[in-house]
Amino acid sequence: MLTTTRRGVMAGGAALLAGMATGRDAQAQSRRILVMASNQDIPNFDPHVANGYSASMALRNTYDSLVGVAGNPPKPVPQLAQSWTISDDGREYTFKLDPAAKFHDGSPVNAEAVKYSFNRLLRLNRGNAWMIAGVVDQNSVEAIDATTVRIKLVTPFVPFLSVLPWVWIVNPAQVEANKGSDDGQAWLRSNLAGSGAFRLRRAEAGNLYEFERVADAWRKGGGNLTGAIWKITRETATQRLMVQRGEAQIAVDLTSEDMDSLKGRAGVNLVIEPEYRTFSMKMNTRHGPLQDANLRRAIACAFNYQGMLDVAGYAELMKGPFPESIDGFDKDLPVYRTDLARAKEYLAKSSTPNGGIKITVAHVSGLEQQRRWALVLLDSLRALNIELDIKPMIWPDMVSAARSPETTPDIFMVYQTANYGDPDNLAFAGYHSSRNGGWQNPTYANPEVDSLLTQARAESDAEKRRALYVRFQRVLMEDSPDIFGVLEKRKLAMRSNVQGFAFTPVASNAIDLFPLSLG
Amino acid sequence: MVGYILRRLLLLVPVLLGLSMLVFAIARLLPGDPVALAAGPNATAADVASVAREFGLDQPLVVQYWNYLTGLFRGDWGVSIFTRRPVAEDLAAYLPATLELVLAAMLLAIGLGIPLGLMAAVFRNKWPDFLARTVSLGAISMPRFFLGLVFQLLFAMWLGWLPLSGRFPLTEDPPPQITGMLTVDALLSGQFHAFGVALSYLALPAIAMCLSPLATIMRMMRASTIEVLQQDYVLTERALGLSQKLILFKYVLKNAISATLTVIGLYFGWLLGGTVLVETVFDWPGIGLYATQAVLTQDFMPIIGVTLCIGAIFVTVNLVVDMLYGLLNPKVRYQ
Repeated sequence: MLTTTRRGVMAGGAALLAGMATGRDAQAQSRRILVMASNQDIPNFDPHVANGYSASMALRNTYDSLVGVAGNPPKPVPQLAQSWTISDDGREYTFKLDPAAKFHDGSPVNAEAVKYSFNRLLRLNRGNAWMIAGVVDQNSVEAIDATTVRIKLVTPFVPFLSVLPWVWIVNPAQVEANKGSDDGQAWLRSNLAGSGAFRLRRAEAGNLYEFERVADAWRKGGGNLTGAIWKITRETATQRLMVQRGEAQIAVDLTSEDMDSLKGRAGVNLVIEPEYRTFSMKMNTRHGPLQDANLRRAIACAFNYQGMLDVAGYAELMKGPFPESIDGFDKDLPVYRTDLARAKEYLAKSSTPNGGIKITVAHVSGLEQQRRWALVLLDSLRALNIELDIKPMIWPDMVSAARSPETTPDIFMVYQTANYGDPDNLAFAGYHSSRNGGWQNPTYANPEVDSLLTQARAESDAEKRRALYVRFQRVLMEDSPDIFGVLEKRKLAMRSNVQGFAFTPVASNAIDLFPLSLG
Repeated sequence: MVGYILRRLLLLVPVLLGLSMLVFAIARLLPGDPVALAAGPNATAADVASVAREFGLDQPLVVQYWNYLTGLFRGDWGVSIFTRRPVAEDLAAYLPATLELVLAAMLLAIGLGIPLGLMAAVFRNKWPDFLARTVSLGAISMPRFFLGLVFQLLFAMWLGWLPLSGRFPLTEDPPPQITGMLTVDALLSGQFHAFGVALSYLALPAIAMCLSPLATIMRMMRASTIEVLQQDYVLTERALGLSQKLILFKYVLKNAISATLTVIGLYFGWLLGGTVLVETVFDWPGIGLYATQAVLTQDFMPIIGVTLCIGAIFVTVNLVVDMLYGLLNPKVRYQ
């Protein structure tokens, strides 16, 4: 005889619901759909407007660019362009397009499409346009024939190939057909006109984006994924649990604590690699007491670097403005490390030899790591009789404060992520005076540094270029505009059935789906 | 009655106008530079100025407000300076999820809170009363996000009965969009399996959301029922030999519920504006998360849009509550 209790019915109902979901999940597995948990939405799919790593993930999988990026250190690899040549003066690039390349609508990706895309990016001046602004103009790109493109640079720019992976090629016919009054921006915001191996199947703003492999994609090979889902998961703890339970195959925003808790879990692999993302404390070199270079050096020597590293989780101390694996890194650079005697020597040479001053440090409110580092700084400065006022600010306020030396705090905490794997990216944005007033370099200006960085952009001889960057690092260390902090390692958790993943220290959380397989 | 409703609806106009003015001014007067932020880390001063021009932010505040107001009448709620998506599109995408969550939480809170309050009043100072009061104290004291985490651990991780987060299985197609509320859409399209699945995803966040209003409703209901039970007319009804059930449900409930109705109306608005923590814990793609993101980046238009939207819903719900007073208590007349 069957007896039914209310508890039994409830448990049975819940189990049935869970079972139904599990059954469907198994079905999805047969379709080989990779789920990535990330906390960043993809609000805009226009390849010439959108930015951020989530948009980069979506765009690098649904669009193609002339060249891709792979390896560690990152190198340009063929994508739409099968091959390329560079003129001796480094000003002319000629790309030979793959004749098999075609857009999702079947039309060929030709030289005219490349020209159209570059010009649209420049015209809109949004998204990644800054990467080529001043380097190419509306007359730079020339379609020689259907599969040959020549790009004449306005000024020599050695990292040109490094920025090309982020210049995506759109289908001009589709954009023109939906051009509207805004150059197709409204249409491309939620529609694709690309040639990538994947296309958008489902978009639920703030929730998930599902991609499916294009059945007759022009690029052959790659992994066995039939689709992928970018799931917006705000809580890192939830991302961790999803990977732990197998609900997601990759989590991209985990904390060090999450990684520790996943260590040794069956079926989970951890990727912990140095990435080109620096953290430094920028000092106001043009207003307030830190205009004094000796005071800046004193602070750089008094800072407790080990204390910073201890609270940083998976990270390593910076040894100058560049990550070690980037070309141009000076391995013999004499960096500042905690040395109180030396700090006091510098302080004695400064305009405030006995300290007795109060300075401010601003950090992004809510970023616990930055708050802890501010406390380490506060503790370090006591030894110099310097008082520290810690000001948590929301990010827009910090951006606003950086606009003039008068409003920039004495010390300004900044993460800087490299968008392309060339020293120019971090150096120019972080230290060239043309970027003063921006949050990456609010105040620091030195004509010699400007000159070195401008020369390095144009120097095609690798050895000479390296020498320019070495000199730049030496001058910078002498000026001591920053307390060079840490390079946080990229932390990715993956299910062990994810195959074909190779780490690249540029945009490593903008997952490239093409080579991936699910075992 | 109809005249009263029309008058109340007309009153919505100045209320929302005042609200829009206030929020518009506050959003603009805050320190910070969202335009520079939106222009990107490598933008020049000219680029920043160009973004400001594009969004009309270089114009006087009064002109900006006028443009916004006239836009509203055309259904244009403005555009986010960060995502460049129209705010109306975003609201249409995010609001249904929040409404579904809040409605489910309120249904649970009302459906359980009123009977439990009645029960506690009838069994005053006996064990059901003590139990209900203790549980309600616990429910009202515990933060919702903490409850959410505990539920996730218990029902999703340990017991595996319910999903951890989200609104629907990632790899399944949701029911066709009609209202945007998945449970409702599943029912409307006759997809009962999808309804069950959506319900299983809704269960934990809705329970986490409902406990605080449930406890308040229960306590309000208990207090007002005890007060009504002491009225002379209840004594008279008992003297006349009317059954306890009849007295309770026909005469006491209607009189006791008025105060609770007010709380229900207020809680609805409070939950609408306070979903962010539960939405974060359960990855519920609702308006709370959208608003938080907008506030953190000082994205003007979404901030104003969300505030106006919640304001309008709040005022409308309270209008409905006022209507219900009259339905439940014939002594209430609308003038």
